[in-house]
Amino acid sequence: MPEPKTELLRGTLDLLILKVVALGPSHGYAIAQRLRQISNDFFQIHQGSLYPALHRLEDRGWLQAEWKESETGREAKFYSLTRKGRRQMDAEVAEWERLCDAVGLFLRAPGEES
Amino acid sequence: MTWIRRALHKSQAEKSLDKELQFHLDRQIADYIAAGMPPEEARRRARLEFGGLDRVKEEVRDTRWETHLDNLFRDFRYAFRGIKRDRRFAFIAILALALGIGASTVAFSAFYNLLFSAFAAKDANRLVVFSLQNAEKGVLPELNLTPLGGSLSDVDAIRSQSQVFEEIVGYHRGITLLRDGNDIHQVHTASVTSNAFDFYGVPPLLGRGITPADGMAKSSPVFVMSYKTWKGEFHSDPAILGKSFLVDDTPRTLIGIMPPRFQAYGALVQIWTPITGSPDTKGADPAMSVDTMMARLKPGVTLETASADLDVIVKSLAKNHQNNFPKHFSARVLSATDFMMGPYGIGSAGGPETQHFDIKRMLYALLAGAIILLLIACSNVANLLLARATVREKEIAVRAALGATRSRLIQQLIVESFTLASGACVLGCIFAYGGMKGVTALIPAKGASIGGEAVVGLDWQVLLFALVVTALTTILCGLAPALYTVRRDLQPSLAGSDRAANATFRRGRLRAGIVIGEVALCILLLTGAGLMMRSFFLLTHIDLGFNMDHLLFVAFDNPHSEGDGPGQEAIYLQKIVERLKALPGVSDVAINNSLPGYNPGVRHEVSVPGSSYVERVGMDGCSENLPQVLGLQLTSGSWLTEGDVTGARQVAVINQTMALHFFGGEDPVGRQFTVKATAIKGHTPQDADFQVIGVLRDVKDFGPQVPVIPMAFVPHTVTDALLGGGGVLFIRTKVAPASLMHAVKEEVWMFDREVIFSPQSGPYVDTFYWLTYSAHEFGLMTFAPLAGIALLLVVIGVFSVMAYDVSLRTHEIGVRMALGAQQDNILKMVLVRGARMVAAGIIIGLFVSYGLTRFLASQVWGVSTADPWTFGVVAIFAIFAGLVACYIPARRATRLDPMAALRYE
Repeated sequence: MPEPKTELLRGTLDLLILKVVALGPSHGYAIAQRLRQISNDFFQIHQGSLYPALHRLEDRGWLQAEWKESETGREAKFYSLTRKGRRQMDAEVAEWERLCDAVGLFLRAPGEES
Repeated sequence: MTWIRRALHKSQAEKSLDKELQFHLDRQIADYIAAGMPPEEARRRARLEFGGLDRVKEEVRDTRWETHLDNLFRDFRYAFRGIKRDRRFAFIAILALALGIGASTVAFSAFYNLLFSAFAAKDANRLVVFSLQNAEKGVLPELNLTPLGGSLSDVDAIRSQSQVFEEIVGYHRGITLLRDGNDIHQVHTASVTSNAFDFYGVPPLLGRGITPADGMAKSSPVFVMSYKTWKGEFHSDPAILGKSFLVDDTPRTLIGIMPPRFQAYGALVQIWTPITGSPDTKGADPAMSVDTMMARLKPGVTLETASADLDVIVKSLAKNHQNNFPKHFSARVLSATDFMMGPYGIGSAGGPETQHFDIKRMLYALLAGAIILLLIACSNVANLLLARATVREKEIAVRAALGATRSRLIQQLIVESFTLASGACVLGCIFAYGGMKGVTALIPAKGASIGGEAVVGLDWQVLLFALVVTALTTILCGLAPALYTVRRDLQPSLAGSDRAANATFRRGRLRAGIVIGEVALCILLLTGAGLMMRSFFLLTHIDLGFNMDHLLFVAFDNPHSEGDGPGQEAIYLQKIVERLKALPGVSDVAINNSLPGYNPGVRHEVSVPGSSYVERVGMDGCSENLPQVLGLQLTSGSWLTEGDVTGARQVAVINQTMALHFFGGEDPVGRQFTVKATAIKGHTPQDADFQVIGVLRDVKDFGPQVPVIPMAFVPHTVTDALLGGGGVLFIRTKVAPASLMHAVKEEVWMFDREVIFSPQSGPYVDTFYWLTYSAHEFGLMTFAPLAGIALLLVVIGVFSVMAYDVSLRTHEIGVRMALGAQQDNILKMVLVRGARMVAAGIIIGLFVSYGLTRFLASQVWGVSTADPWTFGVVAIFAIFAGLVACYIPARRATRLDPMAALRYE
């Protein structure tokens, strides 16, 4: 069993979940799988973090849940993005990109040694 | 609103979560099997990965809102259990807080209502009364500031010339008879300008108020009645509306009844009549003049601006009729509250007599007392909670060690404090309500000096303030253990070995500091109350120079005096005296034109031939039996004889003060003095010479607080012009004087149906007591309970701190006992510790009091505000109370079983 490569930054999980759900309604298991696939097993999401996060996002009204038949024919709880959730995601993505740009600029800047 | 749905269908939410997680697990297992794993292994691996279904569930639940609610309920349940377990602590804390809330709310409400909402009028804060400041030298204090009176044309003149007043009204008060068929009611009246009711803006309860139309010359005469009179004398009969009564022998129609909260234009007024007719320019008709003018300032106008404006106008008016004004004066406006309750409370219905007492300052003292009390209550609870925190340190440490988060601990402690605070708030509201009833009952019954319109009820804002302050204190102090514990290493607390450790010791010092502060504040209140008490005692035990036991005081005006010739007044009075002397129960009846001990009726400038010394002297017109009736004592010479009185001889008995002022050390008997003429009631002024025939021991003739003034006692028959008329009779009785009052009134009315009695008529002790002491009594009765409650709170504070101290030191005491300490030693050890705290508080308190009691100077009389006796008694009292508070825990310490104490954790 591969060790998680890195600890998620606080609040990052929410953004990743929103991003995954934005691709289309999906249930908890599918979200966990997709997170792992997209990140090439970089993120190992523990159920103990995923489900509280899903419920928290639902509480805040960013996700909405619906019991539907899954691909195996069994009923599953499908989460989908709400309008509010999409706005939140866009805002967080923009924020994240600004942060990355800033950090990137900083790292690429000529240092004392070079 | 998912959370509402979930809260309502909690089990459904749980099922849904189960289903969701089970789905995840099953899919994982299915995937592993699909990847070729044996089913058993796949199930095991998936479970392991999932990491405990219940833990995940718990964490999901924690994200939900209703879980917090659940925790809150649990905390409340725990708090209640804690309170039940530690009943003594909870009882003391709640009682102490509630007492503080109750007492300070009541005191502050009384202060606020009496001072800031004393009037029912609209825009009452802009109401002012015009007053004249007499700038002449040698004017008696009560003449210094008088309400500005004048004719209606004066009112009109001020109205048209001034820029600062929105509207001006005028009124004059009096007493008259209201006849309803054969029934006679003696009532206080106010004749008001016809705009007065619109001005005041209080709608009538029934009918209508006086309108400007009622003031026209030809309008039909009307009057309005007060609620109290309507209820008390006419049994709230609505049918009397529209009925005609004889008011001062004029038929008038009753057009309206005013609501209870309407006591405009004189607190005692029972009926209001409009002043009718057009203003006459000469201002000679007394019916067309007013003795007080009230106005409403335009918004934004200050008292200073208004005073300056008024001064200019009144000075120009004064040029036209100089006789009505003092030689040097300035006019100014007083706010209606100051007019009624300030140092020059000239509007008080009790007349000028009550003005020595400054109600306003007393109310401020009361406010300070209330704040101090609230402080004591809060520090008391802070102390209790801090002490408890020390005891609970271990419990909190255990909880933290078992994984309680900081926020969870804080929440639990807040809930506990909140439970205590809300208990205290509920009880505090009950105390406040009860206390308010008590204070309302204490307000001087005859409404003399305190506004009759002030509805002294609970002020909700004040109550809210007190509640918030106490709740905040409770919660902040309740948090102390949590903040303390989460910041430090848990180990020592868990080990329970640091009871004497530095941290606890420091907290002990903080607690001691709070107790010292509390004791000091309490000393401040106690010295204040002590000074007021001592002053009240001195005031009531002063030697007035006459005896008022078994003395019935009857005062009335001769209704026919205007039409009578000279000397008729004396004959009229003599006839009444003869009738009264014949009444059973009456032993003697004397005539005097003033109230001894109060307010000598008339004052004149007096000089002695051959000397340039001039001073105003009080002139009393008396009958020959006055010394026997009042118990006056002569020091030399003799009193007036019957012949002197019937013959209207110009002889006088003077008091010691007058003898000293005018004749120095010489014997005044046989000497002469001259009374300068003053025009009274239109009589021709004439100088009069009197021969001194005796000297009377000084009588406190201007109230017990004012130095004796020179007095001369002359036959009441001498001249009406000199003495001002009016009948004041003193009846020495063989029975209780109150029981004779009715018979006396009947007897006088049988002689003359027109007589109107002064409202002060009655047993002289009562009259005198009311005039002199009622306001002082009110001050004392409101301040003393505050001090008493403060003392009780301090006893509670000292007691609780000592009790906790003993329980913290149980182990130490056990060791000491095991090592051979006697019970006496232990008792002494605890007592000394408590006594040191109390003593420190007392010393600080006495110093603070020494600095602050001077603000009470206007409330106390006859004692220095640094009176060593009061300070001493207060200190002894506080030491005693402090020792009692320490003694109970100390006794408990001595009764400890050493073995149990050693094992005690």
